[in-house]
Amino acid sequence: MLLDANALRPKTITFVASLDPRMKKILTLLFTVFITAHHLQAQSTIPRYGLSDERDIYYVFTHADIWQDPKTLLKNATLVIKNDKIISIGINLVIPKGAVVYDLKGKMIYPSFIDAFSTYGLPEIRKERPGNRSPQYDTRTNGAYSWNQALKPEFDASRNFNADAKKAVELRKLGFGLTLSLQDDGIARGTAVVVALGEGKENELLVKDKAAAIYSFNKGTSTQDYPASLMGSIALLRQTYCDAKWYQQSKNKNIDISLESWISNQELTQIFDVNDVWSGLRADKIAKEFNVNYVIKGSGDEYKRIDEIKKTGDAYIIPVNYPKTLDVSNPYDAIDISLAELKQWEEAPSNGSVLEKAGIKFAFTTYGLKDKKDFLKNIQKAILYGLSKEAALSALTQTPASILKISDRVGSLKPGMLACFFISNKDVFDKENIILEQWILGKRYADKEYDLTDVRGRYKLSLDTLKGWDINISGEALTPEWQLMHDSTKVKVNFDRDGQQFTLRFEVKKGAGNYRLNGVLDANDKLTIAGDGQTPDGRWIQWKAIYATVFTETKKDSLKKDTIPVIGKVWYPDMAYGNTELPQVKSVLIKNSTVWTNEKEGILTNTDVLISKGKIQQIGKNIDANTSKIAGLEIIDGTGMHLTAGIIDEHSHIAIAGDVNEGTAAITSEVRIGDVIDPEDVNIYRQLAGGVTTSHLLHGSANPIGGQTALIKLRWGKSAEAMKFEGADPFIKFALGENVKQSNWGDNFSVRYPQTRMGVEQTYIDAFTRAREYDQSIQKSLAAKDKSTTETPRRNLQMEALAEILNKKRFITCHSYQQGEINMLMHVADTFGFKVNTFTHILEGYKVADKMKAHGAGGSTFSDWWGYKYEVMEAIPYNGAIMNRMGIITAFNSDDAEMARRLNQEAAKAVKYGGVSEEEALKFVTLNPAKLLHIDKRVGSIAVGKDADIVIWNDNPLSVYAHPIKTFVDGICYYDFTNDQQKRLQNESERQRIIKAMISAKEYGAPVDKPSMKIHELQHCNNREESPY
Amino acid sequence: MKKNILFAFTICCSLQIFAQNPIPAGKELKRVLLFGGMAHLGNGKVIETSAISLKDGKIVFVMDSRGFKPARDAYDTIIDLAGKHIYPGFIAMGTQIGLNEIELVRATNDFNETGQLNPSARAIIAYNTDSKVTPTVRTNGILTAQIAPLGGLLSGTSSVVSLDAWNWEDAAYKTDEGIWMNWPSMRIVRASWAGTEEEQQIRFEKSMKMLTQFFSDAKAYNDLGMPAIHNQHFESMKALFNGTKKLYVRVNLARDIIAAINFCKLNKVQMVLVGGEDSWRVTDILKANSISVIIMRTQALPLRDDDDVYASYKLPSVLKNAGIDFAITDDGYWKIRNLPFEAGMASGYGLSKEEALTAITLSPAKILGIDKTTGSLESGKDATLIVSTGDALDMRTNQIELAYILGKEIDLHNIQQQLYHKYMKKYGFE
Repeated sequence: MLLDANALRPKTITFVASLDPRMKKILTLLFTVFITAHHLQAQSTIPRYGLSDERDIYYVFTHADIWQDPKTLLKNATLVIKNDKIISIGINLVIPKGAVVYDLKGKMIYPSFIDAFSTYGLPEIRKERPGNRSPQYDTRTNGAYSWNQALKPEFDASRNFNADAKKAVELRKLGFGLTLSLQDDGIARGTAVVVALGEGKENELLVKDKAAAIYSFNKGTSTQDYPASLMGSIALLRQTYCDAKWYQQSKNKNIDISLESWISNQELTQIFDVNDVWSGLRADKIAKEFNVNYVIKGSGDEYKRIDEIKKTGDAYIIPVNYPKTLDVSNPYDAIDISLAELKQWEEAPSNGSVLEKAGIKFAFTTYGLKDKKDFLKNIQKAILYGLSKEAALSALTQTPASILKISDRVGSLKPGMLACFFISNKDVFDKENIILEQWILGKRYADKEYDLTDVRGRYKLSLDTLKGWDINISGEALTPEWQLMHDSTKVKVNFDRDGQQFTLRFEVKKGAGNYRLNGVLDANDKLTIAGDGQTPDGRWIQWKAIYATVFTETKKDSLKKDTIPVIGKVWYPDMAYGNTELPQVKSVLIKNSTVWTNEKEGILTNTDVLISKGKIQQIGKNIDANTSKIAGLEIIDGTGMHLTAGIIDEHSHIAIAGDVNEGTAAITSEVRIGDVIDPEDVNIYRQLAGGVTTSHLLHGSANPIGGQTALIKLRWGKSAEAMKFEGADPFIKFALGENVKQSNWGDNFSVRYPQTRMGVEQTYIDAFTRAREYDQSIQKSLAAKDKSTTETPRRNLQMEALAEILNKKRFITCHSYQQGEINMLMHVADTFGFKVNTFTHILEGYKVADKMKAHGAGGSTFSDWWGYKYEVMEAIPYNGAIMNRMGIITAFNSDDAEMARRLNQEAAKAVKYGGVSEEEALKFVTLNPAKLLHIDKRVGSIAVGKDADIVIWNDNPLSVYAHPIKTFVDGICYYDFTNDQQKRLQNESERQRIIKAMISAKEYGAPVDKPSMKIHELQHCNNREESPY
Repeated sequence: MKKNILFAFTICCSLQIFAQNPIPAGKELKRVLLFGGMAHLGNGKVIETSAISLKDGKIVFVMDSRGFKPARDAYDTIIDLAGKHIYPGFIAMGTQIGLNEIELVRATNDFNETGQLNPSARAIIAYNTDSKVTPTVRTNGILTAQIAPLGGLLSGTSSVVSLDAWNWEDAAYKTDEGIWMNWPSMRIVRASWAGTEEEQQIRFEKSMKMLTQFFSDAKAYNDLGMPAIHNQHFESMKALFNGTKKLYVRVNLARDIIAAINFCKLNKVQMVLVGGEDSWRVTDILKANSISVIIMRTQALPLRDDDDVYASYKLPSVLKNAGIDFAITDDGYWKIRNLPFEAGMASGYGLSKEEALTAITLSPAKILGIDKTTGSLESGKDATLIVSTGDALDMRTNQIELAYILGKEIDLHNIQQQLYHKYMKKYGFE
């Protein structure tokens, strides 16, 4: 509600009142505050030229509805400020002498919004476009800073802050009075500063220096090669925490300004910027590991995994850059948009509401919005999707203040706090709301001057040539509509307002020509607008409109009202083939199938298998369902079907987020695939459809010592962490040959050591020698009696992983082709006293099978690949058969998301090439990889007590005609041939439902983007640095 | 001479001279009777126990052997194939066999000429009969291949070769039978390598303009009859307009397929759709325009996350049911040895085994315009066939023990077997 006519213009008044005793007390109290405030007022060292202009006066805002904080609305209240502070706030306050009073009847006051993640006032980051450049192994930052260009903890936003008048206006219009300003570049981004969005010298605008330290996984503009992957960024963060710890206590070190800043930044609020919900969880894992707390600057898709998010206990700063509406008019455009994208479009606005309901502390940010003007619209949308207004307000005021530890100064309106607030014409979350003015640090910013006089109503027009007409002004107070009315005739008036002056133009009859009038508002008494102007024929005339009838608001057209959207449920994962509910463990009796036990029993025909509680419970003929007494036992008639252990892929690159290679340095044993599992890779589901139940996710082969691997079970729908194979031995990827020599990387890549097989050996010897020395120094330090005299060595995660190999606590799977290098690595291993656990690819294993046998290495090879590069020209499809015959544990792997879903057929090639028996051949993709991965006690065969990771096939599993009917992991059916059809129908109906909604959004005027197709980049092609095979 | 060859061959086998390809079959054409095997004719029919007579490089007859008493002296050899399977030699389409020896060694790559418009470049010229890869492919039953260039918008001209020859002239079965085109996609994609939306749009428009202009100019040149100034590019295009060459268009997305069909219609050239991963979405328009499809791989991932998990496996049966002519092949060169399994895969998902066989025998022969002489076991056709101990479309049972190309028995050995035996001997297993 706006004020009546004539109500509101600032007036200086002298306040005289007879005070009752109670009021006196308040007055005294107020005076105390005044005095304190005066003393606290900032002193300036800036000399003034000319006359001083101190204005030691009060500003008083009366009759406003004031949101003191998100829980407290003071109706018809008064706010008193002086200089940059709030003096008092409340109902029926005494207005002090010497005050400018603003009557805000019908208006609202809110604490200024705080954007806790903004680049406001900081220089724009320019990213060099990656060209055809040579590798850069060292930092290009000059000075005694970090070795890594992406670590800039020394960056201090306050030193680089420049008020930006244009951007400040943009943010103020949205209600923001303060931002946390930071530089969004690099992995450690330095400190951020809280600034006020006012004008003036920066000294006056900095509210809190070093308010937070900022981090991310994104190396930003760093041109240095390392890190090139998400797991590399994580490793770098981890190592830096270790380095900092050592640096703090070491007496024997070089100065590192970056580390010193890193250390001093630790006491600040730590904010971590991530790109998706999974990376939020990744960041949290690091935080817990190093006993720090992160506030996560999220990505807006937290709703997808709200339970996991809640468990972290982290606070979030979330953007509202919802996915754009896409033009799906053309059905062929629509098919290229995935259900994941459609669902995200539909569900993203519910993020705030989901976070609120889960009780997660969160703030909103404008960060990521291309057009900041969408911000309030999108908050309103969040409210429409179920977010409470209280939570919304809190996320814009109190929560960011609390995150930044400035809630004693901003974020709510209390005496003594900074005078940062804004005035709006109505509820700030109302669509029609207009933010009229901002007061920041006690200064008024009216970025657009709205004359607050409400001129709506009906007026009698007095104009010589138009007798008996009225002017009706209706619509919104700040954007009214004008009409001329005579009986039932209505004429639209084009009008413009310039302060107190009006321009009116109208045509009484079409073609009759325009009246063009100028008028001025006289609001002293009864509202009158009067002036002169020209008739259509150019005659000058006088006119006057006299206020006659009060304006009454009419109810809005109900059609225009927003309906509360109905949105789909979140699926697990939230994409095509996702589960609407997570599948549960079942008890199943599979009767009468051919069971390939992989045990000494061999292949058993007409045999029953009972699984329950995730384990294989019983194997035998004619198991009686009744005697097992299991509630809800499902019985499957397996007649004509085959039952095998689930397929285990020893060499896979699916389900890895942000690059499979940290192929920059020759040794990257510090990186971990386990940090970057992507549970939303559709290939997980596709491989379940090919009978795969366990995958060994490997780092790529771009360097002699790659990264630590991760073993997962294909628990489609579960989170990244829940996919990990519990208790599995840790492995690491090594690689030999052309890839590590960078032979096929192009002419720019000829400087990294090693470039020859000679150098590869030297690299290993050096690495393991250093690892041994490292391990010894650690052991020595642990054994030292007097800890005070021995310095604890720096924890080196790269060396630590290698020392684990030396100590037989971590195992190698080594990408290898030619016999010479295979031989070499076994010699290196023998010299250092460990075994190479597995040679993967091992295409010339057949040439050194005797040596491998003697060393004790296993071989995980391709069935029949060759020809793609020089070092595989003597690869033969009989390789598996020969190694197997030599008594080497032999497996076939995929290294390929496509091949992985028919590894059973690859196993059959061992029958074709080299005459391995069918029973043995199946072990190449089940039991043998289980042995190579040291998990054969849990999986790999059909034996009582083992995990119920089983596949039911429609045919002999080695046949090209076979496909899984059901695939179980831990006794949970994650793939079902029949249910797959249901899932496709479900995908399609969900797609069509959302497409319909998208089209209707377009029709209601949502701006649309041209659709494009997201290419699922397979983790083994495209990038030479990711060359896998 | 014949003796010498036989002698050399014997030495080759007994002394294990390594890294040499088998010697191409001699000139001798024996009269052979294949007796008692299960004949899969390639046209969908099966003769459970068959008698197949080969003479002068041709199939004389294919008949049911039951009740048939062959005259001993009518044949040089009678081979008892009871319990075995006989198939027409498999035909691989659109391969780079003989054009690419080692993918990552540039010196061995002869399939991608520089520039965008290369219709005149002829694959047959680069075809290396001595590729180490070829014998490994034959061992699995592939006896004939279409060799096709890659790259650019118009990659070059393909030919059909028999996989047993001394030189490319010798190998040629049908030369210069088609021109290969890569259709520029109108789809804007999001990928690290793709560039911005604007860049993609510009690239697409530029490519389309280039192609449109090139085809209309080529047609005008064709209309000249005897041009005063000879243009090599346009000369090679002439056969497209008179219908003696086909245009093989590599295109996968539905909307691009529609655009490509329209383009070919407008330019009055005979199009074969290559790849066609989305072809199941546009069967009506394929049918209406009588477009044949070469399915690049069945063992492929679906195009999109949302697509049927088994979309690629099912594609052949969908096309079959829609009445569209199609062949199945595999991309690349060394991988083409898995061609029978690419076909077998489809028969696990709706295609019958014999239909799957047709997709790698008679169907490719038809598309290549060589079905009058090859592609099925029928009298009068070339004696190009294989014998497998088991179902040749299943890797579990595929064992090719005998093969004839144009009536001559070929040596099925390859370098990989040599290496196998070499090391089996080393370890004392042989």
